Amino acid sequence: MLMFSYLMATGITTGAFYALVALGIVIVYKATEVVNLAHGELFMVGGMLAYTCYVMEGLPYVPSLLLAVAGAFLVGILTERVAYRSVLKHGLASVLVATIGVSFILKGIARYIWGGKGDYLSFPPLVSPEPLQFGNIMIMAQQLVVLLAAVVVMAGLALFFKRTRAGKWMQATASNPKAALLCGLRIDRIYMYTFAVGAAVAGAAGVLMAPLTLLYPDVGFVLFIKGLAAAVLGGITSVPGAVVGGLLLGVIEQLAAGYVHSSIQDVVPFLVIMFALTFLPTGLFGVRGLRKI
Amino acid sequence: MPVQALVGHRSFLTLLFGTLLVLPAVANQYTLFVGNLMLLYIILALGLNILVGFAGQLAFANAAIYGIGAYGTALLQVHLGWSFWAAAPVGAVLAMVIGTLLAFPALRLSGIFLALATLAFAQATQWVLWHWQSVTFGAGGFRTPSPNFSWFAIKQDYGIYFVSWVVTVALFLFTWRIMRSRIGRAFVAMRDGEIAAQSLGIDLLAYKAMAFALSSFYAGVAGALYSGLLGYMSPEGFDLFQMIIQKAMIVVGGLGSVVGSVLGAALLVYIMEFMREFKSTQEIVFGVLLVGFMVFQPNGLVVFMKRWLPGWEEPMHLAEPPQAMSKSDVAEDTTAGDKAVVERT
Repeated sequence: MLMFSYLMATGITTGAFYALVALGIVIVYKATEVVNLAHGELFMVGGMLAYTCYVMEGLPYVPSLLLAVAGAFLVGILTERVAYRSVLKHGLASVLVATIGVSFILKGIARYIWGGKGDYLSFPPLVSPEPLQFGNIMIMAQQLVVLLAAVVVMAGLALFFKRTRAGKWMQATASNPKAALLCGLRIDRIYMYTFAVGAAVAGAAGVLMAPLTLLYPDVGFVLFIKGLAAAVLGGITSVPGAVVGGLLLGVIEQLAAGYVHSSIQDVVPFLVIMFALTFLPTGLFGVRGLRKI
Repeated sequence: MPVQALVGHRSFLTLLFGTLLVLPAVANQYTLFVGNLMLLYIILALGLNILVGFAGQLAFANAAIYGIGAYGTALLQVHLGWSFWAAAPVGAVLAMVIGTLLAFPALRLSGIFLALATLAFAQATQWVLWHWQSVTFGAGGFRTPSPNFSWFAIKQDYGIYFVSWVVTVALFLFTWRIMRSRIGRAFVAMRDGEIAAQSLGIDLLAYKAMAFALSSFYAGVAGALYSGLLGYMSPEGFDLFQMIIQKAMIVVGGLGSVVGSVLGAALLVYIMEFMREFKSTQEIVFGVLLVGFMVFQPNGLVVFMKRWLPGWEEPMHLAEPPQAMSKSDVAEDTTAGDKAVVERT
């Protein structure tokens, strides 16, 4: 029982990471029906920018976080403007190929600037690295910070989509681009901001998780796959679904690692993606019949 | 034949394959290796173009299938002591069988969801190569025996090269013929509209399975040859970057163009060899090529060839999109929106 509760606790805290990554994927998918395969690299860029500000330049934490998020936002705008917008008219599949091209460009640039040969940059944790004791279970304080941040980001996004005009524009564009266009929305620009908001969420996730994941140019793709599995499990169009999917994925991974074999942990997300797409295409929270597959 | 027809795809192909045929006579060991790599990538690009360019199935599993072919061939030799000549066909067929199974999710999924599912499959394959250490030897890789050419009156170094050349030319001619046959036309019909194709009597399952089978057979053959060429096997060669290289080849050459696959593969192997030492430069250059062609010329270099060279014919290649009509783009987008609405209600 102790092992089970330990695995559950670790699963939920790691699941919070995945949820945070999944949130960004879901935002972009909801508005544009494209999965941004460069999402992991935006995450990595956010972490690297924060590393530059916080560790190399010695800025305080909060300005570093904000700068990194702003940087990721700008990269999001830039990639949409340069690569995705002109490809969109050739169809969504072309945009997907363009995003994977962008992901390699970003990875190459990061390797050039922050790379080195197999260097792992370690990012000091925001809070004391001592593990906290809850009953018999030990949890890293930074994991709780990530969990909290995931909740904050989710609440913020929910408010953004419900309460702000920009959020409503995005939802309108997502549900019917033609009607949105006829209402006078500039859907090009809304797509651009959607990619940028997704990138900013990725950047924030990158900064928050950097102390736990370490930073290296290839870090993004691994977490992207996990976030994607979480998003697909949650139905890929649902913000709460992304969070539940993330937590569920974290728990499944930990249970598989604890009761089957520790190396199984890494293969769980791939199996979840393949299984969910083939047998559960609307996910747990997706609306049936909404997605064109 | 009119004189101007001499400047076309036939002379390009004759020149390229002719040069590659006489290369062993003049080249050193390294150039020969690059030439051999070029032949393998031509096979890979032909196979991937059948699946992505002709049949319109956006799959990301080709690098993994290539790896399965290579590992299958190498491991049969290492573990069971088979000769290369027995292991290579079995490795290629193994890759083909596994690749064909991917056609079943492809029936339910299309567009980007097929891409994501095959991406997950590719990463799962990577995981198996890394972690099933008792069979695949894990991350460190292993040495593979070099094929025996004693029965063949030729120097050992040139053996695998000539085998690759013969196989590449044979597969090229096969692709050229088959893409102009009923099968190729069925693929194109499926790509341009699944429902329309179905109503013309095209069995989607059969033709999707055939597209996956053909493309993974090509990848498996290339993998088998690769294991004979390199003599060393490690999982890194079959990762996502490998997929990007192959994808860039067919996008640069021309989606849905047989000669374009050859052109793209030959060109990009050449470029790749300039940057062999620098992974970051390779990633940036291949990413930029991929995105740049998607943005500026999504139908690839073949479009320019057709425009400038009078004898260049590619009947099955995608038509050029109408020139810069932003109004119609909006109209297209919005009709897509309409369709979505209809399907949702």
